[in-house]
Amino acid sequence: MMMQTEMNAYYPDYSTAPIQRQINPYADNGGSVVAIAGNDFVVVGADTRLSSGFSIYTRNQNKLFPMSDTTVLGCAGCWCDTLTLTRILKSRMQMYQQEHNKQMSTTACAQMLSTMLYYKRFFPYYISNILVGLDNEGKGCVYSYDPIGHCEKATYRAGGSAGALLQPLLDNQIGQKNLVKPSSEDLSQEKALAILKDVFIAAAERDIYTGDSVLINIITKDGTKVETFELRKD
Amino acid sequence: MFLTRSEYDRGVNTFSPEGRLFQVEYAIEAIKLGSTAIGICTSEGVVLAVEKRITSPLMEPTTIEKIVEVDKHIGCAVSGLMADSRTMIDRARIECQNHWFVYNENISIESCAQGVSNLAIQFGDSDDDGAAMSRPFGVAILFAGIDEKGPQLYHMDPSGTFVQFDAKAIGSGSEGAQQSLQEVYHRSMTLEEATTAALTILKQVMEEKLNSANVEVMTMTPKDFFHMFTKDQVEESLKGMEKIEPEHQRSSLESGYKKSPSIM
Repeated sequence: MMMQTEMNAYYPDYSTAPIQRQINPYADNGGSVVAIAGNDFVVVGADTRLSSGFSIYTRNQNKLFPMSDTTVLGCAGCWCDTLTLTRILKSRMQMYQQEHNKQMSTTACAQMLSTMLYYKRFFPYYISNILVGLDNEGKGCVYSYDPIGHCEKATYRAGGSAGALLQPLLDNQIGQKNLVKPSSEDLSQEKALAILKDVFIAAAERDIYTGDSVLINIITKDGTKVETFELRKD
Repeated sequence: MFLTRSEYDRGVNTFSPEGRLFQVEYAIEAIKLGSTAIGICTSEGVVLAVEKRITSPLMEPTTIEKIVEVDKHIGCAVSGLMADSRTMIDRARIECQNHWFVYNENISIESCAQGVSNLAIQFGDSDDDGAAMSRPFGVAILFAGIDEKGPQLYHMDPSGTFVQFDAKAIGSGSEGAQQSLQEVYHRSMTLEEATTAALTILKQVMEEKLNSANVEVMTMTPKDFFHMFTKDQVEESLKGMEKIEPEHQRSSLESGYKKSPSIM
């Protein structure tokens, strides 16, 4: 038996074992999502580049999905999984509305997303999800997820291909971490928006999967405002 | 009542030529044999009061459980076939826990009732969800709960129909009790007034003399949610009731139905 396997290593053509072929069901289409919450607002931005390896599929792909009047989901990762997950989520939102005669709250949507992801524990959606919205008190909130449904509530978060690059920058700029004189001021919507744009410029410099432009959703009690912001295209 | 002798009262999945489902109507008749339960919804909360039929002095009254907690924010009073009610309460509890698991929030009272209603109408043919049930459930349920719309009371009958009520009585004394509820209910009722009213009406329609052993009382309030009265608390409420209405009139509202031992 030992002889057989040793021989096969040198003469693979003479192998008697069945030939095994594999397909890779996942693709990494890149993209970054950044969300920042304030007392009565939340801003979320996602770059619009969709890529694979060294090629760019499109420079203009929206990765922010409105779930309700007060809830938006940002997705980065495997684009085909994103398409499926967001379609299922949208139908679940509608079914909830019809079953319970009310719109799903951001907190309920956050928990539902977690359970939906965990139900695919052994064949996960390969997506970095960031769910943002206003909670029942009108306060901005951010929920981030790993692909198998671990959910963490935060006030700011970076996810996707430049997530690891941007999170420490946000920790410093929004979280006031590692500063000699941290500010105790409440974060204004203008400041949040300015920092969001700045961090995307930084990401576009270093990450080839992030660039082209940023699509921004600003959610307040008055509704969702959409903005775009140009990034470098190389 | 159903003197048109026909074969249409056998199957649960066959309409009569007049468009009736006799087995469902018989089940609605069956709940009129059950013990009386009263629910009153006020702006401060909901109160449920039920009679327990102590058919033998050797019986342990505390083992009769007619008011049950479904979730912290929902309680149910049942009347009719107690064995059937277990299955329905089980479903109500599952609906609540499943909603909490998926959405991390309390289910609304209406949605909980809707879930139980889906179970109640599963008599008839078998389908993917399981084998056929032989007959409709012989149970009437009062759902008392608190959700984002505030205190609420829902009533459901064996057909699975559920309707919201300000005040509702079910069981053998329901007709008389419902009449009395209509007279005493007003929108600005306090929970204490409602408790007293529920006990007073229960006393009028009960055959046995009302005491702390043969009645169950529960309140559902935004502060304490499900709260079952202890024996002492029931006695206190009974005392409070007697203070308001010292001359208790035994009423002639008692039903003439023959009691079946399984229907309590």
